[in-house]
Amino acid sequence: MRWPWKRDADLERELQSDLELEEEEQRERGVSAEEARYAARRAFGNPTVIREQTHEVWGWVPVERLLQDLRYAARRLWRSPAFAIPVVLILAIGIGTTTAVFSLVSAVLLHPLPFPHSSRLMWISQQDHSLPGLAPEALSYPDYFDWRAHNHTLAGLASYADSTLTMKTHGEARRLDAETVSGNFFDVLGVAPLLGRDFGLGDETPGRHVAMLSYAFWQSQFGSARSIVGQSITMNGHAYTVAGVMPKGFQFPFENPAPVLWTSLADDATGDHPATQQRGFDELSLVGRLRPGVTAAQAGADLSVIAGNLARAYPDTNKQYSSAIVEPELEHMTGDTRPALRVLFGAVCLVLLLVCANVAGLLLARGSRRSTEFALRAAIGASRTAILRGLLIESVLLSLGGGAAGIALAFGLIRAMLTLMPVEIPRMQGASVDSAVLLFVLVVSLITGLVFGALPAWRLSRSAPARAMGEGSRTVSSGRAQHRLHNGLVVAQNAICMVLLIGSGLLMQSLVRILSVDPGFDARRLLTCRAGVSFDQVGHDQHYLFYQRLLERIAALPGVRSASAGWPLPMSDTSASISFSIQGRPVAPGDQPSEALGLAMPGYFQTMGIPLLAGRTFGAEDGVKGQPTVIINEAFAKKYFPGTNPIGQHMQPGLGDGAFDHPMREIVGVVGNIKGKGLTAEAAPQFYVPYAQAVITNPYVVVRTSGDPLALQSAIRSAVHRLDAGVPVYEVATMEDYLSKSAAQPRFQAFLLGCFAAIALVLATLGLYGLLSYMVAQRTLEIGVRMALGAGRSDVLRMIARRGLLLTLAGAGLGLAISVLSMKVISGMLFQVRATDPVTLVGTAVLLCVVGGAASSVPAWRAASLDPMRALHEQ
Amino acid sequence: MSSIKKKDQQQRANLLQGTLDMLILRTLLYGPAHGHEIGKHIQRTTNDFLQMQHGSLYPALHRLEKRGWVSAKWETAPDRNREFKYYRLTDQGRKQLTVEESQWKQMAEAVARVMWPAAEESQEI
Repeated sequence: MRWPWKRDADLERELQSDLELEEEEQRERGVSAEEARYAARRAFGNPTVIREQTHEVWGWVPVERLLQDLRYAARRLWRSPAFAIPVVLILAIGIGTTTAVFSLVSAVLLHPLPFPHSSRLMWISQQDHSLPGLAPEALSYPDYFDWRAHNHTLAGLASYADSTLTMKTHGEARRLDAETVSGNFFDVLGVAPLLGRDFGLGDETPGRHVAMLSYAFWQSQFGSARSIVGQSITMNGHAYTVAGVMPKGFQFPFENPAPVLWTSLADDATGDHPATQQRGFDELSLVGRLRPGVTAAQAGADLSVIAGNLARAYPDTNKQYSSAIVEPELEHMTGDTRPALRVLFGAVCLVLLLVCANVAGLLLARGSRRSTEFALRAAIGASRTAILRGLLIESVLLSLGGGAAGIALAFGLIRAMLTLMPVEIPRMQGASVDSAVLLFVLVVSLITGLVFGALPAWRLSRSAPARAMGEGSRTVSSGRAQHRLHNGLVVAQNAICMVLLIGSGLLMQSLVRILSVDPGFDARRLLTCRAGVSFDQVGHDQHYLFYQRLLERIAALPGVRSASAGWPLPMSDTSASISFSIQGRPVAPGDQPSEALGLAMPGYFQTMGIPLLAGRTFGAEDGVKGQPTVIINEAFAKKYFPGTNPIGQHMQPGLGDGAFDHPMREIVGVVGNIKGKGLTAEAAPQFYVPYAQAVITNPYVVVRTSGDPLALQSAIRSAVHRLDAGVPVYEVATMEDYLSKSAAQPRFQAFLLGCFAAIALVLATLGLYGLLSYMVAQRTLEIGVRMALGAGRSDVLRMIARRGLLLTLAGAGLGLAISVLSMKVISGMLFQVRATDPVTLVGTAVLLCVVGGAASSVPAWRAASLDPMRALHEQ
Repeated sequence: MSSIKKKDQQQRANLLQGTLDMLILRTLLYGPAHGHEIGKHIQRTTNDFLQMQHGSLYPALHRLEKRGWVSAKWETAPDRNREFKYYRLTDQGRKQLTVEESQWKQMAEAVARVMWPAAEESQEI
């Protein structure tokens, strides 16, 4: 099919040539040139009519009419920049913020995982039936091997566990974030290596050391040398053969920091008691791929049968894990962020709705100024639909302009959000203005244009020509219905604003409460770090000795008040639960309670500022060869020793390090609770074992300083390196960093919703101001008459201000009702604040009314200071 | 233009509407022709009875082109040293002509049977 303008040119040429021919023939018959031309024209007919009729044959008429309308609308808008520019800017704010949040939602929640048939990838774990609700528990290697071998519903089941490796480069030890994975790990994910070979089940054989490099690590560490495949690199004192390099962008699991390499689970098969043989040593995460046609529920039932069998066969370790949990990997990853993102998206949609109402008000005001124009067009034969179409096209054009400007705004907003955003949200760094987002903008712009354009257009196109023309000539007041609509729009804006203000107010209240939570320790001037002492090369005694010496040296540094070490560090997202039994309270094997484990060096509680409530803290006597001891926290004492003195009682945690085999330990002290998992989490029962008696991981070094803690970084680093240059120092951070990270999500949410509420408040205020100003302008004559008849200035002032206040109050009331009805949406995001918090509700209403009053006062004052004589003359 | 004359013309045009497509297709059966030639030919062969304005041909020609019954190409006329838009019958157009022709025949016969019943009988004898 040819383009219409090409066809036009073609038709023109055809008509021309045939017409000339006719003319020539006439001339050949002996007619004079002029006569011939006229005769030819006569014989031919009206060329315009011919053109139009031929045009219609090709069916482009509706398109052309649309183009004509577009041109007309564009010209009209171009001629009134004072109207078009503010409208486009307001729309850009609405569409831009919505787009930015949508791009985030799209990147985090909607994009499929970057694996083939990713909807079949499942996150798999086992349910801990000793706890209420959904309580997923990691698996042990023997359990995993059984699940892998005996299921009938999975095409593959892979395991992965976080690990750290130490590699020496340029004389300095570097700690690497790695994953220990099963041989079928990459196969289950469906991604083949870029270079080299995939892992296989053969790589799980004990004694094999193979590594798969991430693309980024291969680039930075090995300069993208292809020859690295097959070579060996030394990590943790072992020679690892590089099996291959994964493609660019491949990552799994989605953690921060991302793993730089993957090693085979053969790493866990070494030693006298390898993890691969300990049922009950639950540390594995699993990812499985469903067979085609199998549902998650079917896989869950299938694996639960295996889990049930294992629970019967191995009650000591598996009794409470008698069923499996299978959920789509994407849902599992984004589950925590889903409600918050939903609320944010809802809030930003409200902003957009408010923008629509705002712009609709502007269009309405502008429309009634143009009512004479419409009436004239209607009078000379324009159909109602033609006028309606023209108005709608105008508003769609405006919203497309707003959309284009909104995209520019969204670019900036996304960048700002990514830098402000807490890093915990997985995949959010993928947020960008991609094709899906652009499509979203287009659709949103069109819908927006129709929404804000439809009401005014419908309203305006209904006005009767004769009346409108009369009104235009001498306005007393414009149509009642039009006013009602305009009032309604302002009320709607105030209602939406109220909802957003309440939401952000609640989140801010909640944030304040979170920040004022006592974490149970003193986070000020506390520096923390870890040292990666290798467990393969250093015995437990020397391991402990290393830390003893290190702490002595750090304590001697100037500016250090005290130094110690412990594990886990609160808010550091590390934890372990260990089962135990209390002396004198026998339970069946597998029924033992389990609580959070802590490890502490002498001085840990003092350095952290955790108060001692009874007994003593750990000292030199709780050494490697000392009596087995344990310290419990207040919550532990309350739960297990209510009404009795726990000091001197004995308990036996299922924790040994080879030197001790699950010794019975004496409770020597009770310390205060700490918020280990975050400020909003309940303080959980916890027991602490002397680090010397349980050297199972590298503890966090904690240093209380007298000045800026970060100033001591390099001194601590060199203290470590002077002891052993092969030990990397990592996770250097202040305790306040951990605390602020723990409040990062609520802070971000409160910030974002606060921004939306601020935008809403400004727009709603402008909407009210605009309506009242318009009203004053429309009613100038009426006001003049009133004043001429003796109304005082204060009467006029009151008349306008009352209208403003009534509208604001109506909006506030409506918004309040909506908020109370929909409080469920936000209550999950609140901490110690109820969604119906009266302080927030009343405060918000007062704020809205004060702002509304201020917005009304300007037009009210303007009306009151009208000169009645001039008002009457000018009209 | 008086109103009576205008009405007269319109009637003729209406008559043409249904048959103009067929006449064009039939004309093109002789070979490719440009718009002017087609118009002239129809006018001549009907002894100027169908004295239509040539202009009304073009919408019809373009309609036929859109339906694929004729194809168009700019070619130099043999007698004039200029290019004209020549229309030629497509295979589809040929089929269409047969269809329209038979339809027209049926209608003409039907009309004739109503108008001159005796004549038909006498033909049979």
